[in-house]
Amino acid sequence: MMTAVQFAELIHCIGQAFTVDKQAEITAEINPGTLASGYLKDLRSCGVNRLSIGVQSLNDDELVLLGRLHTASEALAAFRTACRSGFDNINIDLIYGLPGQGTETWERTLNLAVSLDPGHLSLYCLSLEEPAVLARQIEAGKLPPLDPDMAAGQYELAEAMLERYGYRHYEISNWAKPGYECRHNLSCWNMDSYLGLGVAASSYLGKHRKTNVACLDEYISLVCSGAATLTETDEETGCELQLAEAVILALRLEKGVDIARFNREYGIDLLRHYHCQISELEDLELLSCKEDSLSLTPKGRLLGNEAFWRFLPEQPG
Amino acid sequence: MDQKSIRNFCIIAHIDHGKSTLADRLIELTGTLRKDKIIQQVMDSMDLERERGITIKAKAVRLGYHSGAGELFRLNLIDTPGHVDFSYEVSRTLVACEGAVLVIDATQGIQAQTLANTYIAMEHNLEVIPVINKIDLPGSEPEHVMKEIETVLGYKSSEVLLISAKTGQGVPELIEAIVHRVPPPAGRSDLPLRALIFDSHYDDYKGVIAYIRVVDGVMETGAKLRLMGQGTHMEVLELGYFAPGPTPEDRLEAGEVGYIATGLKSVKECRVGDTITLASGGARQPLIGYELPKPMVFAGIYPTQADEYADLREAIEKLNLNDASLTFEPESSPILGQGFRCGFLGLLHLDIVVERLEREFGLSLVVTVPGVKFMVTKTNGERLAVTSPVDFPEPTEIQKTEEPWVGISIVTPSGFIGALMDVMQEYEGVYKHTEYLGQITVMGEESQRVRLEYEMPLRSMLTTFYDSLKSRSRGYASLDHEFLGYREARLVKLDVLVNELKVDAFSRIIPPEKAHDTGKSVVSKLKEVIPRQLFKVPIQAAIGSRIVAREDISARRKDVLAKCYGGDITRKRKLLEKQKEGKKKMKMIGRVEVPKEAFLEIMKLG
Repeated sequence: MMTAVQFAELIHCIGQAFTVDKQAEITAEINPGTLASGYLKDLRSCGVNRLSIGVQSLNDDELVLLGRLHTASEALAAFRTACRSGFDNINIDLIYGLPGQGTETWERTLNLAVSLDPGHLSLYCLSLEEPAVLARQIEAGKLPPLDPDMAAGQYELAEAMLERYGYRHYEISNWAKPGYECRHNLSCWNMDSYLGLGVAASSYLGKHRKTNVACLDEYISLVCSGAATLTETDEETGCELQLAEAVILALRLEKGVDIARFNREYGIDLLRHYHCQISELEDLELLSCKEDSLSLTPKGRLLGNEAFWRFLPEQPG
Repeated sequence: MDQKSIRNFCIIAHIDHGKSTLADRLIELTGTLRKDKIIQQVMDSMDLERERGITIKAKAVRLGYHSGAGELFRLNLIDTPGHVDFSYEVSRTLVACEGAVLVIDATQGIQAQTLANTYIAMEHNLEVIPVINKIDLPGSEPEHVMKEIETVLGYKSSEVLLISAKTGQGVPELIEAIVHRVPPPAGRSDLPLRALIFDSHYDDYKGVIAYIRVVDGVMETGAKLRLMGQGTHMEVLELGYFAPGPTPEDRLEAGEVGYIATGLKSVKECRVGDTITLASGGARQPLIGYELPKPMVFAGIYPTQADEYADLREAIEKLNLNDASLTFEPESSPILGQGFRCGFLGLLHLDIVVERLEREFGLSLVVTVPGVKFMVTKTNGERLAVTSPVDFPEPTEIQKTEEPWVGISIVTPSGFIGALMDVMQEYEGVYKHTEYLGQITVMGEESQRVRLEYEMPLRSMLTTFYDSLKSRSRGYASLDHEFLGYREARLVKLDVLVNELKVDAFSRIIPPEKAHDTGKSVVSKLKEVIPRQLFKVPIQAAIGSRIVAREDISARRKDVLAKCYGGDITRKRKLLEKQKEGKKKMKMIGRVEVPKEAFLEIMKLG
């Protein structure tokens, strides 16, 4: 866990190496269970101006299931402390689709979260990779299996509720009040360049997707020896693949694909280029093709993968 | 070599009782091959055979032996297929022998195929030497098995040898017994040439290799020959024996066993069971009547990807060069595309062919539910042979239907009789007879064994029967069957509709009483195995236009990557690429995507 002092040093170094915009979004991710008193205030004074709190659930049984170290009341307390420490731009992460969760407990968690009035909410459906221990328990029959239909219902419930409370569903898993959209994630979905620093960090620069070495010891020794590069993987995406990625990422956003802008940037006629996929997806009612934009329908948001894989180019060989 | 010093024999046994190990041991002990050169089970030269523990192709090995009395003998060992699917090949091999070593596992006793093989050997008047094997194992009960052999087969205990093929114990005594008890071959070298083909094999370089037993006359290199049954003419390009590798020789005299390279293009031109004689001045009477092996089990074989049809055709033709009993005809299906309707000697034969096509030729295949050949007499008097459910006539046109029946022999510890009788009833078996065998220890307790005799339609045996038998008897039951003939039957065609589209590949012919149950199980299995689509899919089973069972597969509602951020775009994209690749492997039934495994699962239903 980074201390406030380390945060300050980091921000200072970045300021020395780059020109930092005065309105820059500077986010810290925190876990509600491990906050020392005064920590959040110190973070704020370093210049951190946005917090992302890994709440995951406001139901104590579910938190135990997820193996989290905090309770619901600790999470609520953390949020209030954040507000008192001067944070105005706060995101809450929540998980649905938990085995045996049901719509009622989900609705209760959502209500509690919304009552805090956060600027941003990220809602994720449980996938079995995260807590691997859950996957094992399900396999052993100790927990009921995941129910995708239940998860679909929970998603739709969240959509309806959050709309009522003034949140804009701007990306498949993300909701925000106007002006509180997560800017660093938006730049990823908009295919903007970004630089990753540190162990295993990823970057997107000059059409190359890179990641740094994942092993801490190796990273440190490379830095100390003044190595020219810290890159472990480097993929140059060809034109077709780049276009596909751009479309897939743009479709995750509510505003969808801006057809005119794409045509200009990639020098193509998007509607003609993806003519087959678009008409197939329209027949399946997953895609809505308007004059100036392509976007997923509400049904399409739930079945997004069916739209995404169709835009991928053919694999060679 | 003096004809009187030749002994031609084979080894017969129930599966896994030690036939191949004994063959290895005989080869080693007669010095034919040094121990370090014996790759376990020399005589099973195909990987597939070794994996399944069965021999598909018969081979012959010449063993040289110096007896205790100092005489030199030539022992020709012919290895036989042990499975009932290939009973035709087994019986041809036996005709080439004068003796048979009957191997019985000391831990298992007489099993179903022990009996079947013994009866065939007796029918051919072979000198049988019973041998109890695996006496080295902790669970072996030679006294019990000895008693069983006396009571059931009628041999005296003094005639029975005890051996361990694995350690070699008792095997030298067995070789002496073969020399003393098996008679030398009859037949005369001065008579016109007659040689029996007891097996054949296609070689890319030499053409068809025929395995022969010279009965009368002399076979020489360069001889011009004629097949008495088929009429094929051929020349002896190469002549020799196996020791155990092929060893060329100029002549083989009466009583000898060996091979000839014929240069022929396919084993169909040089069929097992036929008699070879000289092209001019040959013999008058063939050795035995030979008949074409009849396929009993039929199935459609299709490529998973339509564009691999040509590859499949080429592969089947290649396989056919070496497998004369495989029959095939082009066939097409609206759902599966272009394929072949193939005829097999039995289920094992089908499994072997499909596995070889997939493994040796790298093909991805869909195989329809296996079926039998029905004889249907129509109201207009026409009599049809129907090998595919699609060709089954409409009920209104049918006057009479006949289907093949088989006689079933099950050997089991008596504790499982109840369970097995239930199984037989489920599979439409008709009880005939119970025979009492000996005692054996089963799960720590002494148990009486019996042989149950039943008759049943071959149709019932084709899907889950064998597995049910094995599981209800905890693996202790053994099975043998033989074709009895055609009998009249009342049958209907059950169709399966996926999203209202009839799928020929799933149709089957069943008795009307089973319509509801079979319909229900096929439909629920399909519901389990077909993935949810983006729309609701009804699955129905029908007889004609009457629906007998129905299930619905609800539409999928959720399939989306929840998180997709900078760090893991590449990884998430690869997941999507995998999803896309997966779609290619699906078979389409109309708009419904079905994985290939679904077809295989349906086949497993009774």
